[in-house]
Amino acid sequence: MSNTRITGKKSSNTLVRDLVNVGIFGALYLVLSGLGASIGFIPAFIVVSTCVVSLVTSVPLFLFFSKVERPLLCCVLLCTLFGIVMTISGHGISFGLLCVVYGVLAGLCLKLFHKNFVGCLLANVMISFVPSSMMIPLWSSTEEYLAYCSSVCDKAYIAHLAELSSSYWPLIGLFSFGAAGAVVGGFIARRVMKKHFERIGLAQ
Amino acid sequence: MNISLKNISFSYSDSLDDAILENLNLEIRSGECIVLAGESGCGKTTISKLINGLIPHYHSGTMDGDVFLGGKNTSDMTLAEISRVVGSVFQNPRSQFFNIDTDCELAFGCENLGMDPEEIKQRVENVVQEFHLEHLLGRSIFNLSGGEKQRIACASVAATDPEIFVLDEPSANLDLKTIADLKEIVSRWKRAGKTVVIVEHRLYYLRDVADRICYVKNGQIAYEWTPAELEAKGAAYASSLGLRCLNLEQLREGVVRQAHQPCKVPELVEGPQGSKELDLAKLSIAKSIVFTNLTFAYHKKHPILDIDRLKLPCGQITALIGHNGAGKSTLAQVLCGLQGSWHQKRAARKRGVYLIMQDVNHQLFTESVLDEVLLGMKPQDEKLALEILEGLNLKQYADNHPMALSGGQKQRVAIGSGISSGCDVVVFDEPTSGLDYRQMLAVSVMLKKLAASGKTLLVITHDPEFILNSCQSVIRMEHGKVVEQYPLSGNENQLIKTMTGKL
Amino acid sequence: MKLDPRTKLFLAVVANGMIFTAPLVYSLLMVVVTSILLLLEGKWKFVCTFLFVYIGAAFFFDLMKNLDIGTSGTIILASLFLMYRIMPACVVLYYVITTTKVNEFLACMSRMHVSNKVTIPLIVMIRFFPTVFDESRAIGNAMRMRGIRLFSLRTLKSPVAFLEYRLVPLLVSITKIGDELSIAAVTRGLSAETKRTCVATIGFRWADAVVWAYCIVVVVMFLLRN
Repeated sequence: MSNTRITGKKSSNTLVRDLVNVGIFGALYLVLSGLGASIGFIPAFIVVSTCVVSLVTSVPLFLFFSKVERPLLCCVLLCTLFGIVMTISGHGISFGLLCVVYGVLAGLCLKLFHKNFVGCLLANVMISFVPSSMMIPLWSSTEEYLAYCSSVCDKAYIAHLAELSSSYWPLIGLFSFGAAGAVVGGFIARRVMKKHFERIGLAQ
Repeated sequence: MNISLKNISFSYSDSLDDAILENLNLEIRSGECIVLAGESGCGKTTISKLINGLIPHYHSGTMDGDVFLGGKNTSDMTLAEISRVVGSVFQNPRSQFFNIDTDCELAFGCENLGMDPEEIKQRVENVVQEFHLEHLLGRSIFNLSGGEKQRIACASVAATDPEIFVLDEPSANLDLKTIADLKEIVSRWKRAGKTVVIVEHRLYYLRDVADRICYVKNGQIAYEWTPAELEAKGAAYASSLGLRCLNLEQLREGVVRQAHQPCKVPELVEGPQGSKELDLAKLSIAKSIVFTNLTFAYHKKHPILDIDRLKLPCGQITALIGHNGAGKSTLAQVLCGLQGSWHQKRAARKRGVYLIMQDVNHQLFTESVLDEVLLGMKPQDEKLALEILEGLNLKQYADNHPMALSGGQKQRVAIGSGISSGCDVVVFDEPTSGLDYRQMLAVSVMLKKLAASGKTLLVITHDPEFILNSCQSVIRMEHGKVVEQYPLSGNENQLIKTMTGKL
Repeated sequence: MKLDPRTKLFLAVVANGMIFTAPLVYSLLMVVVTSILLLLEGKWKFVCTFLFVYIGAAFFFDLMKNLDIGTSGTIILASLFLMYRIMPACVVLYYVITTTKVNEFLACMSRMHVSNKVTIPLIVMIRFFPTVFDESRAIGNAMRMRGIRLFSLRTLKSPVAFLEYRLVPLLVSITKIGDELSIAAVTRGLSAETKRTCVATIGFRWADAVVWAYCIVVVVMFLLRN
């Protein structure tokens, strides 16, 4: 006669929890990446700034990965939110779309590896490309700046400058620094998760 | 709408072996106001979650039995359907708002139910009039005081016009004046024929409103009283069950009796002896610490805090009372050097004042209790740290993660870290908010012990029961100034009068 | 004067597009319209400061191009120039953020048939920024009482530990608030499936038409020129 049953497994209600988590971690991600990127205001550190951003944001992202129940949806939403905010605040729509793509990739990584460490690490790297891509418009504007300069300065000097900035090495540097930061950050995050959140009971 | 819980068993895990509720039956008639009381962890909050549908729809666990709301089984309804019938108000006003301004928040519930915008506007208008919220409209949620937030929360729930209200410790973060407002709200609902279920530690404000008080123990309804019955049994009976007093006037005799037959205090009973039998008379003539130049203002014309001299008796517990917004927290911050001018901060650092925050989670950083105590220590001395932990009955937890401990233990870890960083003055920000009687007593005993070891304590609190239990003198603040300062013994009536005067 | 949030979004997108891809003239056109809109909102102080700095910067660059300033000077000038180009984008952003209320924005999202799956995280996110700062300030205070500072020998020795002290309590308290918030939300009938209504009234007026027309003209001009 007993109708003992398991509760809280219906998907529609845990969906709200996931959505709220996306919002929370989205806010946290924006704040932290903003703080991390502010080191880039010192021109010499622009390239390193992506590394700092992904280092700082990996711990919250790992916690986020472990908390959500729908990794694909949540990653896409997180990146979309970031994209929306950035589009409104002055980056092109193309950047917003790029964010969604990274989100899909990150979600797929998590889904394929069932949220184990490798999956989280790969997803973290994917998401680290988001702030790296933010710098792309800066590059396209530099060329325009060169055109502006050429009317003013002498030819040889412009050629030198063009050689410097038209090369895509700094851009590749940005991405690889970001990814490196994400990998290192991922290992730190694994330690922090083990050391703190699992013991507190916030993550499995 | 009547509520009936039939043969409910529930556990938060996969099997019913460690059930928090066991075969519980409860009938609540339509239009009744009932209070669920009991010690922390007895399962009373779980009962409230059964009524508002969080169980079985949100929390994962194992459940047996059925809950009927007006004849409908909650298992067959969706949460959205239940939310039309049941409105819930929670303990923490900080975390139950979804919007950043009050207007949006009031309309939020209605918007979720997909009501017509014109009707929502009408309803919000009605609620604003009913709850007298005109001055709160269009404000940012983040600039409201705790009491104002709780009023907005009640109003926004009322806007959807549910038949049943479930309140989970709504008074935990409120001062006595705003608790009176809350009482007014609850009695209005009752007059309108709504069913109200309140989970609460503080009982006195519900004395005239509640129809029944259900005492929950070990997952069962152990006793049921009307408020009058419980009051007749006296304060000692209530406190022996771990309940807060029902009548503040009864408090004084309750405290006196308490001294003769001490209630068993969990966790701390086995502490070093001698601290409880503190000779207060001797200490009261002891010297006092004097703080000067305690001023703070965002705008020069409107000082939030304006105190020239503040005398705290050494080695004693002083209560700091006053309404929300009187400047108590600002005083604590300035004392501890977290706010104020450069030389106020320097003075604070020199003196060594430590603040135990209301949310202790903010001040626990490391991975083990021992590390936490060692962190602020200069030079780091493990033996001394262990001694401090011993004094706080935390030695067996030295290797545990501080955040994984219970609330009271966390508080003690924070105190330990304060002691280890060599502070002589410790300021507490509402250490007993949301605690049941035994936990409150545990905090009180620990503070007495701390005072006996020579620390000077200042406690911001809204809890008269706690003050009568543990403090030796009282400071009352109003508009950033100290209005009164008096020793407690002999002045208990004055204290109760000033604290409840506006009730 | 009230503009529809959709108009503001369109303005922001066009302005950003012009500022980052088109020649200077076009971004100037956008600056002019945004300044007028801000003036109509009564933010004359902000507009004056901005115009003063912006024109000052333009004058400064004009002056500098006649000087012979070596490589390092040029690099500094380059980054200054970039900031100068980004300034108009910031002004547009300021206009959109300060004049749009959250519920108007949400109403506009639901008019555009954006799914609840996007709007719910958005509401939470907007609501959570102040919370993140509040919590972080409280933790910073607690750290200061314990003598853990950013600029200290201890931090220099172990920057990761500093990050940990700062992040772990923040994450713990924020996830806790988040859990309580989602509980409060579901008991108030929020779900991803049901359609929400919005109290805020939004709609197109003549002012919107003017701004749309202006933006479209600017875009068309840009496309024809190239």
